[in-house]
Amino acid sequence: MKPIQGSFITGYVSILIRGDQPELFFQVCSNHGVTVWDIKKHGPDVCEGKIKLGDVKLVKKVRRGTGFKVSFVQKKGYPFLLKRFTRKRPLIIGLLLSFLLIIFLSNIIWDVKITGVPKDIEEKISKQLNQYGVHPGAWIFSLQSPNAIQQQLVKDVPELLWVGVDQKGTTFYLEGVEKIIVKKVPAGEPRNLVAKKNGVIKDLYVSKGIPRVKVNDYVEKGDLLVSGVIGEETGENRTTELVAADGEITANTWYEVAVTIPLRYRDEQVTGNNESKFFLKIGNFQLPIWGFRPPDYTDIHRETMETPVRIFKWESPLAVVENVLSEKTYNERERTKEEAIKIGIEQAKADLQLELGPDAKIMTEKVLHETMDHGKVKLNLYITVEENIGQTQLLNQGD
Amino acid sequence: MSKWQQRVRTLMVNYLALPSDVILELPRITIIGQIHVYIENHLGLATYSDTELKLKMKQGFVQIKGSSFVIKMMLPEEILLEGNITDVTFLPDNTD
Repeated sequence: MKPIQGSFITGYVSILIRGDQPELFFQVCSNHGVTVWDIKKHGPDVCEGKIKLGDVKLVKKVRRGTGFKVSFVQKKGYPFLLKRFTRKRPLIIGLLLSFLLIIFLSNIIWDVKITGVPKDIEEKISKQLNQYGVHPGAWIFSLQSPNAIQQQLVKDVPELLWVGVDQKGTTFYLEGVEKIIVKKVPAGEPRNLVAKKNGVIKDLYVSKGIPRVKVNDYVEKGDLLVSGVIGEETGENRTTELVAADGEITANTWYEVAVTIPLRYRDEQVTGNNESKFFLKIGNFQLPIWGFRPPDYTDIHRETMETPVRIFKWESPLAVVENVLSEKTYNERERTKEEAIKIGIEQAKADLQLELGPDAKIMTEKVLHETMDHGKVKLNLYITVEENIGQTQLLNQGD
Repeated sequence: MSKWQQRVRTLMVNYLALPSDVILELPRITIIGQIHVYIENHLGLATYSDTELKLKMKQGFVQIKGSSFVIKMMLPEEILLEGNITDVTFLPDNTD
């Protein structure tokens, strides 16, 4: 069958032979090297066969002189399809136009996206971009390179520290970083610094005002630490000046903390078995799409993820909700008294640190008292901390 | 073709184990069930119709009978016939 393979691509024709003993014509043809296939005899003097498009000329030449009548019945294959297609003028014109349209449209800026900067700067940037000719509807090839735009933008918009210009297809992405102009903190109103808590002064750093305490002094809550009144105050002539006292007064403070730690405790652990269920969410209604069977396990940890269905930029009210149900196990654990004490101390320290803020430094801790009852360890802890105890107090309020 | 030449050829086939179809100029006919007949080395088509195919060979004809015949492929010395084959007959020269 090899000689007739690929005949669809090169094209073939069915020919109908009329005459006395038409099959002999095919014999003559094949003697001339023409491949003939699918020969059928329709009647005593009619015979049909298929020949390749390239052999048509040869067949016509062979026919000359013989008494047969040859008619072409069917034309099949790629060349004929092409011919028929090219004859349809409007189709080709339409195809060409749509192709041109695609090229045209893909060479136009469709969107300019500015991210990372506040609205007012965004406005400024887009105004500048308009001047450079970067706006939706502009030709892409008439623009400068993103690098040049980037440099120019940074030069022209003083508020920008840096801007990244990226062209992705028909969209320009601009990512800006705003310069943060640091404002000077205005000198505050006259004020004192007073103690926030009881403590022993460890370190004094006064940038403004007169310190009224010394290192190792014991202060109580509300005691004056740094005075905002500068100058002598002797008898008749008062030469005082009011300033905003400022400084850092580090003091040793102490806390008594009580913690309770149970010896037996439970925790949860996810085993790794999980199942996903999908829902289509419309408003408050959830329609299950996938995963109807409830899982076999009894203790379940649920995780819900919701992704809204987007159509281009428009967010539709539909959302796909994925519920991941994971099997979990509860573990009963026990710990020794020593472990419980250790954990209690850590916990107390962490809680205290959280309460006092990151500037406070926890120095020492001491267990004052410990009791055991009902499977719980009760601890009384004494913790010393180094922290800033200065607190501002406005002068016209205090006195 | 002389009788002498014929005898030499038969001897060559018998003693030198040469393929008989080439030496004796006889058609090689391959039949696949009753659906296909593949004939090589024939000397041309004599008659063809829906029910009969007759091919010339060196001496006489080979006649294939059956129904709904279609020549699937026709090359200068080969023919592939498809259809319901019932008979393959060798006819001597003097008939027809």
